[in-house]
Amino acid sequence: MTRVDIFLLEAVINGILLGGVLALLALGLNLIFGVIDVVWICYAELVMCGMYMLFWLHVFFGWPILLACLAAIVGVAGLGALLHLLVISPILGSAPINQLLATGGMLFFLQSLATLLFGTDFRNIGLRLPVIELGDIFISYSRLLAFGTALIGAIALYLFLSRTYLGIAMRAIAQDREIMGLMGVDQRRIYLTTSAVGGALAGLAACLLVLQYDVHPFIGLSFGPITFMICVLGGLGNMIGGFVAAFIMSQIIAIGGYYFSIEISYVLAFVFFIVLMFLRPQGLLAR
Amino acid sequence: MNSLSRLIRAAGLPLLVIALTVPVLSLSHEALAQDKPIRIGLLYDLSGPFAAAGSVASQIGAQIAIDLTNERGGVLGKYKVEPVTADSQSKPDVAINEGERLINQEHVDVIVGVYSSAAAVPLASKVEEQKKILWITTAVATSVFKDRNLSYVFRAQIHSDQYGQAGIGFLTEHAKPDLGVEPKDLKVAIIYEDGPYGTGVAAADEQYAREAGIQIVLKEAYSANAPDLSSLVTKLKRARPDVILHAGYNPDITLFLRQAREAGLRFKMLIGNGAGYSQLDKLTATFGSDIDNFCDIDPVPAQHLDPAKLAPGLGDLIKVMVDRYKAKTGANDVPPHVSMGFNQTWILLQNVLPIAIQKYGGTDAEAIRKAALDVDIPVGGTIQGYGVKFFPPGTQLSGQNERSTPVVMQYVKGQIKVVWPTAIQNMPPILPLPAQSPYAVN
Repeated sequence: MTRVDIFLLEAVINGILLGGVLALLALGLNLIFGVIDVVWICYAELVMCGMYMLFWLHVFFGWPILLACLAAIVGVAGLGALLHLLVISPILGSAPINQLLATGGMLFFLQSLATLLFGTDFRNIGLRLPVIELGDIFISYSRLLAFGTALIGAIALYLFLSRTYLGIAMRAIAQDREIMGLMGVDQRRIYLTTSAVGGALAGLAACLLVLQYDVHPFIGLSFGPITFMICVLGGLGNMIGGFVAAFIMSQIIAIGGYYFSIEISYVLAFVFFIVLMFLRPQGLLAR
Repeated sequence: MNSLSRLIRAAGLPLLVIALTVPVLSLSHEALAQDKPIRIGLLYDLSGPFAAAGSVASQIGAQIAIDLTNERGGVLGKYKVEPVTADSQSKPDVAINEGERLINQEHVDVIVGVYSSAAAVPLASKVEEQKKILWITTAVATSVFKDRNLSYVFRAQIHSDQYGQAGIGFLTEHAKPDLGVEPKDLKVAIIYEDGPYGTGVAAADEQYAREAGIQIVLKEAYSANAPDLSSLVTKLKRARPDVILHAGYNPDITLFLRQAREAGLRFKMLIGNGAGYSQLDKLTATFGSDIDNFCDIDPVPAQHLDPAKLAPGLGDLIKVMVDRYKAKTGANDVPPHVSMGFNQTWILLQNVLPIAIQKYGGTDAEAIRKAALDVDIPVGGTIQGYGVKFFPPGTQLSGQNERSTPVVMQYVKGQIKVVWPTAIQNMPPILPLPAQSPYAVN
């Protein structure tokens, strides 16, 4: 194997690991959309809130990292439920554009609130995980962890949706929301639970991102748009589609970045996205 | 679900783009009205990613210069200065809107500020059109002035071409004695954020490196908001540069250094070019001693100059600036951006406005423009050491200070040391990175 091959392999591995992070983000957004039919434009900002929770609990109050992670997951789940109760629930019946604008407004609200409360400084939890060296290839443990968690999260979510009563009810609502009410399912409870689970997934993403990125009020800008794009590419609400799309996008970014440049890799990713939207406007894996 | 899917496909992305660019919050603050105060717009990024990358530090520096002037009675001891604060939110379009608001609604004749070159380039045209003054304290891109023949835009601050000049000058001087290779055998990589600042610095790096015969093994741009830089790191490992020249803001610098460390990237030296690299406190909070011995090019933080080499009184002025900045922010390190904001504003208030009032009869844009062109401060006459003489209209860099100079600094155990130009260095540079650095070539 020549040296160039090793570097290409490293780029591919990095692409897979980045795909894991993006897939995890897409998972929660897709769940919410699939069940409630609302897009949380502010999803990446919920992740930001989770990162701040973790930072304060671990660094400032000295909680052990695992406990702080757990608290952040529960905390963001609560935020998700709150977001549903206060913002989404009152406008559930209104035009989709209003719902988009409302969650878009939340994006700015959360960004500004974080700026107001924590300032614009970049904060870091100061935790450094080891690096795995395989010959000339270095693999970031924190990325590997994110990748593994994304896989486990996806499987757990799949089992939850296919094996539990609540999960089946969620999927049923996604298929036909009118009839489910008539059959005695409490839609409000299902929506609230879905929002909490979506929030918990954002909290989980926060726990993993905080190992790789500094926390600042605008961290969402790095992930929000691409997560949204991945969800649309996979077919909004289609969780498997989102999962696959995350890896396709991350490979285009990684390999394009390796052969050309990072800038061009994003151009390629967007061109791919636009072409796919023409060919399969319903999404990659939609039936 | 179908209707929403359709809507999102039709309008989702454009909407998202619009949504992300809509102004978030705008801070406006007016001082108490006084008898004929001179109103000055202060336009900086107080929110968004640039805020913590030096913009807020610049704004505080500018504010300290205004406060000090007012405490001494005002300009010429009698005209108080009233700042009107605006937040450009790290977005060029907001900078333009706020600039227009300052001029048309707040009726200021001078806008002081601008951190980001991406905002400075369009704003310069806007302000020039309206024949008002844009007094740039911080943004460095040479392209703000180059071949644009501006008459109402001034910058005493250095410009981005000078980063290349300093970085390559430093390397040429130290290649043989410290790195053991002739400049022609030295391999550098140039990586940069893709806005006017990074692009300007990188173009200058490339130009001066070519002139010096230094090999460029990789030159690549990326977006400062990119969520992943690992493919860039992989390419750097493949290209094996001796020295990395990097122009970046903050989220990207921390992401790059973290991924570089995780991927086992090694080099003999990394030279940053101001912006995020000049925020030593913040980099230290993230990386601790990992960043020890990295170099950074920027105008000098005034407190690192020998006051004996400056005009009388400037040493005390620097001390007041540093004390007030520390008191206001609780920071340990006073980044160069404080000096940039303070120095440029101080030059306007103490050297330009007095001439405008006494010689040209007021503080309107026309009087300030003429006064600025009259200013002639020798080297050593400002707190950052450089002199001030603006290139006149009709020249290639019309409006830019022809006497500005940057320095090469090195982080040594959490302290900033000036290492180049050799004539004013605090110590000789440590080159290559010592073996204890996690980035050092073994």
